[in-house]
Amino acid sequence: MDLTVVKGLQSEIFVPITPPLVWTPVTKEIKDMKIALATAAGVHLKSDKRFNLAGDFTFRTIPGDAPSNELMVSHGGYDNGDVNKDVNCMFPIDRLRELAAAGFIKEVAPVHVGFMGGGGNQEKFKNETGPAIAKILKEEGVDAVLLTAG
Amino acid sequence: MQRAIEEAGIPTIVIAALPPVVKQAGTPRAVAPRVPMGANAGAPHDVEMQTAIVKDSLEELVKITTAGTIVPLPYEYIAKV
Repeated sequence: MDLTVVKGLQSEIFVPITPPLVWTPVTKEIKDMKIALATAAGVHLKSDKRFNLAGDFTFRTIPGDAPSNELMVSHGGYDNGDVNKDVNCMFPIDRLRELAAAGFIKEVAPVHVGFMGGGGNQEKFKNETGPAIAKILKEEGVDAVLLTAG
Repeated sequence: MQRAIEEAGIPTIVIAALPPVVKQAGTPRAVAPRVPMGANAGAPHDVEMQTAIVKDSLEELVKITTAGTIVPLPYEYIAKV
């Protein structure tokens, strides 16, 4: 019995499909790694341009030596209360510096990345912003990336 | 984003407040402490919790051997909203 009433009818609701696996093996020990942070939490330098809260596929680089009190968040998609008190909640750069000083990791990368997740042009994120960020981190010789805002 | 970086040849791990979402989005590696969306790395000014979450995340980066693995972390922070 054919239950189809209208041919070609599609759901109005976006149904995400899990994409094929991606995997890069880890080849170094943690103590030999240069680590970068990347966050969708909308972190950037206070002196930098804010994100468009209605949706923004651009990104901001954050120097590895930027003091955490010179960072801020512009993001319209989550409660900023905690991160406004302490940016390390979403961008644990001070913790990463302490772990480098303690020898747990080799070093803090010279560049980190903030962008505004939770919306925006997903095609741009996937095809332009993502590869552009990956290229910067690759050029800086980053061994591993810790992301937040998942 | 995580996938783009991983595809470029850099191993990655994401701290996830929403593990089912990162699973569906095709994360290679994730950790999931019990945290809100606004404080993935732990409570504000809680240096001990933040350090533990960052350290455990990096350790899981090395330990995880299968793409799509999400490891729960034993830390909890409930934001007062």
